[in-house]
Amino acid sequence: MNMTAFSKREYPSGQARKAAFFALSRRKPLSDKLMTLFMLLLMTLIGVMMLVPLWWMISTSLKSMREIMAYPPTIVPEHVHWDNYIHAWQKGHFGRYTLNTLFLAGIGVLSHVLSNTFVAYGFAKIRFKGKKLLFSVMLGTMMIPSFVTLIPQYILFSKLHWINTYLPLTVPGFFGSAFQIFLVRQFFLTIPNELIEAGKVDGASHFRIWGQLMLPLSLPVIATIAIMTFQGAWNDFTGPLIYINSESLFNLQIGLQSFKSTETTQWHYLMAGSVIVLLPVVLLFFLFQKYFIEGMNISSGTKG
Amino acid sequence: MPFMSLQRLKKSLQLGAVAALVSMLAACSGTSGGPAAAGDTAAAAANTGSSVSPEGRVVLNYWTWWGSETRRPIIEKLVDDFNKSQDKIYVKHTYYPYSDIFTKELAAVSAGDPPDIMMNDINTVQQRASKNQAMNLSKYVERDKVQDRFFPELWNTVLYNGDPYALPFNTDTRMMFYNKDDFKNAGLDPEKFPDTWDELEQAAQKLDQKHGNTYTHIGYSPQFNSDWTLLQLNFDGGRNFFDENGNPVVNAPAKAEALQYILDNAKRLGQKNIDAFKADFGSQQANPFLSGKVSIWTDVTNFYTQIRDYGEGINFGVAPLPETTEGAGHWSVGGGFVIEIPYGAKHPDEAWEFLKYMTDVEAQTYWAEKNFDNVANVEASNAPELQSNLVYKASVDNLKYTKLTPNPLNAPDYMNLINPQRDTIMLGQTSIQDGLNKAQADVEKLVSGSK
Amino acid sequence: MAHHQPAEAGKGWSLAGREALQGYLFVSPWIIGFLLFTAGPMLFSLYASFTNYDITSQMAWIGIHNYDTMLNHDPLFWKSLRNTLYFVVVSVPLQTAAGLVLAVILNRKMPGIRLFRTVFYLPSILSGVGVYVLWMMLLSPSAGLVNLTLGWFGIDGPAWLTDPAWTKNAIILMKLWGAGSMMLLYLASLQGVPRKLYEAAELDGAGRLRKFWHVTLPMITPVIFFEIVTGLIGGFQIFQEGYVMGYGNDPGAPMNSLLFYNLHMFLKAFKVFDMGYAMAMAWFLFLIVLLLTLINLTLSRFWVHYEGGEQ
Repeated sequence: MNMTAFSKREYPSGQARKAAFFALSRRKPLSDKLMTLFMLLLMTLIGVMMLVPLWWMISTSLKSMREIMAYPPTIVPEHVHWDNYIHAWQKGHFGRYTLNTLFLAGIGVLSHVLSNTFVAYGFAKIRFKGKKLLFSVMLGTMMIPSFVTLIPQYILFSKLHWINTYLPLTVPGFFGSAFQIFLVRQFFLTIPNELIEAGKVDGASHFRIWGQLMLPLSLPVIATIAIMTFQGAWNDFTGPLIYINSESLFNLQIGLQSFKSTETTQWHYLMAGSVIVLLPVVLLFFLFQKYFIEGMNISSGTKG
Repeated sequence: MPFMSLQRLKKSLQLGAVAALVSMLAACSGTSGGPAAAGDTAAAAANTGSSVSPEGRVVLNYWTWWGSETRRPIIEKLVDDFNKSQDKIYVKHTYYPYSDIFTKELAAVSAGDPPDIMMNDINTVQQRASKNQAMNLSKYVERDKVQDRFFPELWNTVLYNGDPYALPFNTDTRMMFYNKDDFKNAGLDPEKFPDTWDELEQAAQKLDQKHGNTYTHIGYSPQFNSDWTLLQLNFDGGRNFFDENGNPVVNAPAKAEALQYILDNAKRLGQKNIDAFKADFGSQQANPFLSGKVSIWTDVTNFYTQIRDYGEGINFGVAPLPETTEGAGHWSVGGGFVIEIPYGAKHPDEAWEFLKYMTDVEAQTYWAEKNFDNVANVEASNAPELQSNLVYKASVDNLKYTKLTPNPLNAPDYMNLINPQRDTIMLGQTSIQDGLNKAQADVEKLVSGSK
Repeated sequence: MAHHQPAEAGKGWSLAGREALQGYLFVSPWIIGFLLFTAGPMLFSLYASFTNYDITSQMAWIGIHNYDTMLNHDPLFWKSLRNTLYFVVVSVPLQTAAGLVLAVILNRKMPGIRLFRTVFYLPSILSGVGVYVLWMMLLSPSAGLVNLTLGWFGIDGPAWLTDPAWTKNAIILMKLWGAGSMMLLYLASLQGVPRKLYEAAELDGAGRLRKFWHVTLPMITPVIFFEIVTGLIGGFQIFQEGYVMGYGNDPGAPMNSLLFYNLHMFLKAFKVFDMGYAMAMAWFLFLIVLLLTLINLTLSRFWVHYEGGEQ
């Protein structure tokens, strides 16, 4: 494997190592601490900016409609209405819609991870004729806005009798998405070819190399497309709306919309519902980031 | 290489593949499998306890965007009453969010599988009729003679080449809501709203309150929830941007006068001050009239429910829009929705029965009462229980001055050419006449290009 | 590289042939999906761009009429193209850079780092009209938070959404706030930089900046390249912001300064039902973006570094 390539640099002579160790330990306390402090301040400042909308959402979600309509707007709710959340959950049929959305997001994540890493491997690591052309065509499919193909696509799915099922929302995912294939390809291209050659010498097929070598090495990008897909399915609105005709099959985003109306929007319920819908994605990101941001520390090492 | 995590990953991927397969199969069986099956009961429970079973009846799909908890029970009560009233037809109501519902319907019509009954915008009926999106209802109307139910202005708007393609359902009209206490405090007669635009501007000046250079209270600006598109029609004797022959009249003198009126008001108050007010209330949450920051506010009839629910006992009056000179007419602009049968729907005969029911006196009165909407049915509009409310009565009176502004077929998007010129004028980058002449030329070009 | 492999002759297939066959096998899901779901609608829309297709009542061949109208008789076409180009030219580099800076800042060990990453990522999760409404409040010329903040530094903030000279910048600013999704990709790719490279650089006496310039940056150029290509493609498709945030609820207002290319296309397609025309617009844009992407792909050879080597 490629370990020999690195081993020389990885294990320098004892003296050099010692020198490097002292150099590092001498530099660290001064500049690193100051730097960390500065970064902490900077990030807190930007972080607060990022949080303004969230605060607005949460505070609106806890107000009464009367307080929302009042001027000037209050920053902190005068009377906290936790019951808005219960109301939103029940009136928005969130129980049913959460299950539906989870189902769609689950299939989406599985299908996208499988298909896109698979196809991307072909584009990144195997030599075949017409690859450049196929790749260009694939990029080309991203350049036509979706609403131009919406009608013909609908007619197609209608001919297949797929309307009012989850098939139009799930099946295409198993055939890959151009955006994610491109992304995964970019990551695969950074993985040394020597690894694959070594695998081939050992008699492994490309299929095995993909499954046993590339996938484990690509956890960060897999987690990234998983998060992206989950979030995409979680926030999808147009897809379910266009293809689903039964309210029992709706997802969370459509449920949320019911608090909006052409006359008056029930902002408190809309925002309570939005917070409910937002939370799982935030939690998912918070809890799982170690798998794709910190998860690779052991194998390749991160600059810490 | 982290051996443990590799093993775990492989395992979880295998598990994942199995799970994907299982869920795929569930999804493939469509509405009868997976979460769908469980969902049907949930939906049944979600509906307002319908006691009628669809079995043995013609089932009609009816799409609306009334999914809010205020409007949904009202529409579903009407549907339920219809289902109970006979034993051949079962109407199934489905809610879809506004705006996107029209894209969905368009796709469904194009695929030949539309809903049986649909609500839609009244100003685009003729467009849909010309594009084979809505069904010609003339044979039903000739048979059942329903046209006399409706206000003539509304009825005329659903005709294409003389044939009806929809039935008017509800409507609205813009009026002036004003704060009587503010009037009193400013020394104005709270029972008499200014009759002409000039009088209004004079009254508005008395209502303004300033603190230093900034306004703390503004009497009136035609830019508050209103626009030149409304004023130009009022100034021009109820005529919109096209004359009776369909020729554009964007640069007619009355249109320019309306724009001048808005500019004069902006000059007096300072456009920056107006924008500040607009932006402060741009979130559509707090309303400057309800918050007591503005004395005169243009809005549709339904605004009454907001005053009632959030107005904190505000002492308000309602009046028609002013007129240019006495006797010129208090012209206003309205809109509304229609109920129609999409082109290619499978059960038009049954759907027609529901259309008739929804526009008849009983259903219309119920809708008007519960939603405080103006409705299309004249008799329902004059029902005593509605007329007893002064705002409602004023709004029905106002309908005779109210014009609809349907999109002309040869230039449906003409406003996209007029709006930027209006903006240019408002920003002072061109004169009123030059800007309107440019808009007129652009619209003429659009009209001639489509011939 | 494949050429020093021992040849396995005698199975009827050459080595390269068998390799290629596996290649086709791997990309076949995408090819099948493309043929099943995408190719048809795309070809349909290409054909329809030469017709008067209005979705529901007509589809007659009218030759290049739509393209002629577009290029020679529709002033809004050029206006919308210019608006979109401005947005792309300013926004794509800014967003790419912002995402990178955020990622580099957040790619370190320090207290609360996971929280910070979540917070910075948050804006890209928030979606929908609520966000637009909020930004309309933040960008309010007198009372908005943005101009209040600028005021602290003695800057008289512009009338973001009412002055046609500033509306696009307002959208660019709002988009910049959502750069967290780009940060995510950079963060993921920063994990792929082997620690050994840093250590080697440190042994050579490289400082922080030089390490970033000579080790980090080259190693993540594949993702930067990805961001630029997809950012460009996505940037050209901007339209919802112009639709929702138009002044006074008029799409694209004021003065059509927010009338983006795809917004114009959308209005033609779904408000006027001139779908044939919209499809002609879509294919014209397709050509522009394709050209830019091919240029990008060609230029990438000079600056994108693939540790694995490009096959």
